[in-house]
Amino acid sequence: MALETDLPTGYLSQAAAAAPDWDAVYAEQLPRVYNFFRYRLRDVALAEDLTAATFEKAWRARESYRRDLAGFATWLLAIARNVAADHHRGHREHAPLDEAAEVSAPGSPEEDNARLSDAERLRALIARLPDRERELLALKYGAGATNRAIAKLTGLSESNVGTIVHRIVQTLRRAW
Amino acid sequence: MNDEFLHGLRQDPPAAFARRLKSRLQALDAPAVPHERSPAWRWLATAASVAALAFAFTLPAVRSAAEAFLDYFRVVNFAGIAFDPQRTQQLWQNASIDLPALIGKDPAVQGAPPAPPVAYSTLEEASAAAGTRLRVPTWLPTGFAQTGVEVAGAHEFSVTADTSKLQTVLDALGITDVSIPAGLDGQVVSVAIPPVARILYDDGGRRLTLVQSRSPVVSFPAGVDLASLAEIGLRLLGFERAEAYRFAQTVDWRSTLLVPVPATAARFHQVEVQGGTGLVIETDNANPLIAPDQQVQTSTGVAAPAGGPRRGGSVVLWSSADSVFALLAPLPATDVLQVAESVQ
Repeated sequence: MALETDLPTGYLSQAAAAAPDWDAVYAEQLPRVYNFFRYRLRDVALAEDLTAATFEKAWRARESYRRDLAGFATWLLAIARNVAADHHRGHREHAPLDEAAEVSAPGSPEEDNARLSDAERLRALIARLPDRERELLALKYGAGATNRAIAKLTGLSESNVGTIVHRIVQTLRRAW
Repeated sequence: MNDEFLHGLRQDPPAAFARRLKSRLQALDAPAVPHERSPAWRWLATAASVAALAFAFTLPAVRSAAEAFLDYFRVVNFAGIAFDPQRTQQLWQNASIDLPALIGKDPAVQGAPPAPPVAYSTLEEASAAAGTRLRVPTWLPTGFAQTGVEVAGAHEFSVTADTSKLQTVLDALGITDVSIPAGLDGQVVSVAIPPVARILYDDGGRRLTLVQSRSPVVSFPAGVDLASLAEIGLRLLGFERAEAYRFAQTVDWRSTLLVPVPATAARFHQVEVQGGTGLVIETDNANPLIAPDQQVQTSTGVAAPAGGPRRGGSVVLWSSADSVFALLAPLPATDVLQVAESVQ
């Protein structure tokens, strides 16, 4: 689940000059980017739109992606963060995880109901967090990024990321 | 509540969405193949243009930078980027090169300068000269009325890339960790600029200017790595390596004008104008886009400095259909936006 800092093993062919297997990259990264936006934003449709925008930007720039500067997944999330920032500049209302209640999970109706209720409660709690903390949660739990990858993206130290995320979770637990 | 629970809220993207997006991505590749020299209608910012624009904003004498955008670029989207003019200045001051001499010798830009604008007495005449129906605002702040209209004729120019000069500049600035895209040297970028119209409004003391044009056509050889060029341009503006790389990779250079805004002089934000994305730049103090005697206190101004109120103004940039627009006035952004929204 954790996000690696470079293209996952096997995505690059043995020949150094060969192009990555973009189909495999797409299948691997789409859920991460999509869930990053779902943890950050209000509705599923918007998450899809911004996911699409992210992939379109990345797709156009894929030939110039430089492995020496950033891991591919981290690079993609950097684009996603900018897409989110661009969106936020023009749209001030944010209520992340509004759609989290729609998460479908296998189980009995009672279990489903309990899960929906938990999701709604969690959504309300996260919505009250400052934007930066919501973003860290989205990177950590939505995109499945490692603390190291988050540190690269945000400019925080790795240990600082761990501390902040731990504190955010503690805050959520206390309020639960 | 634990990590598993927090992770458990993840959901796979809908399969239909995943398929649609994949198709869209594959379709993006299609137009890149057929033309050896594709018209880059939406390419706006080479490295040089980014740097030039930034410097334009830093010079108080340049009061109509918005018009310059229309003179030289095709705009679909606008995006602001804050930069530190002092950092840029320091970077260039420390350079051990005579930049004007370097640029002036064997100039890379070829083409006749644009003819001066011609004033017309009616919008119909101006529209005929511009080759398009000029749009006008249907709402103006109280007291404003049209006082003039002028059109600058179409012109063309081309720029030949000289990588040795660029490398000289980079070396002189101590920027050693960027690579100039291979095969760039000698490539020619051609720019065809349609007529640019300016409609002037006045309330007796302040001037509101609406600039409009069909979009310029910028042609360049297929395969030019615009992101890398943009990254170089951002480095020339003083951006750090990682920062420049990140911006360069996330902007669609074929459709977006990145407008460098000096962080100490102006604020900017994206706005929706006539259903599209536009950019508002507003200042509380001396606005490089608006003449000092035209500036007024803005509604967003903070405490007025000693000796008088803060003076500033607003600029709105947007595109619509096949045209680009700039509206500038010594007015609060809300008023200028309202005027922009009414342009028909």
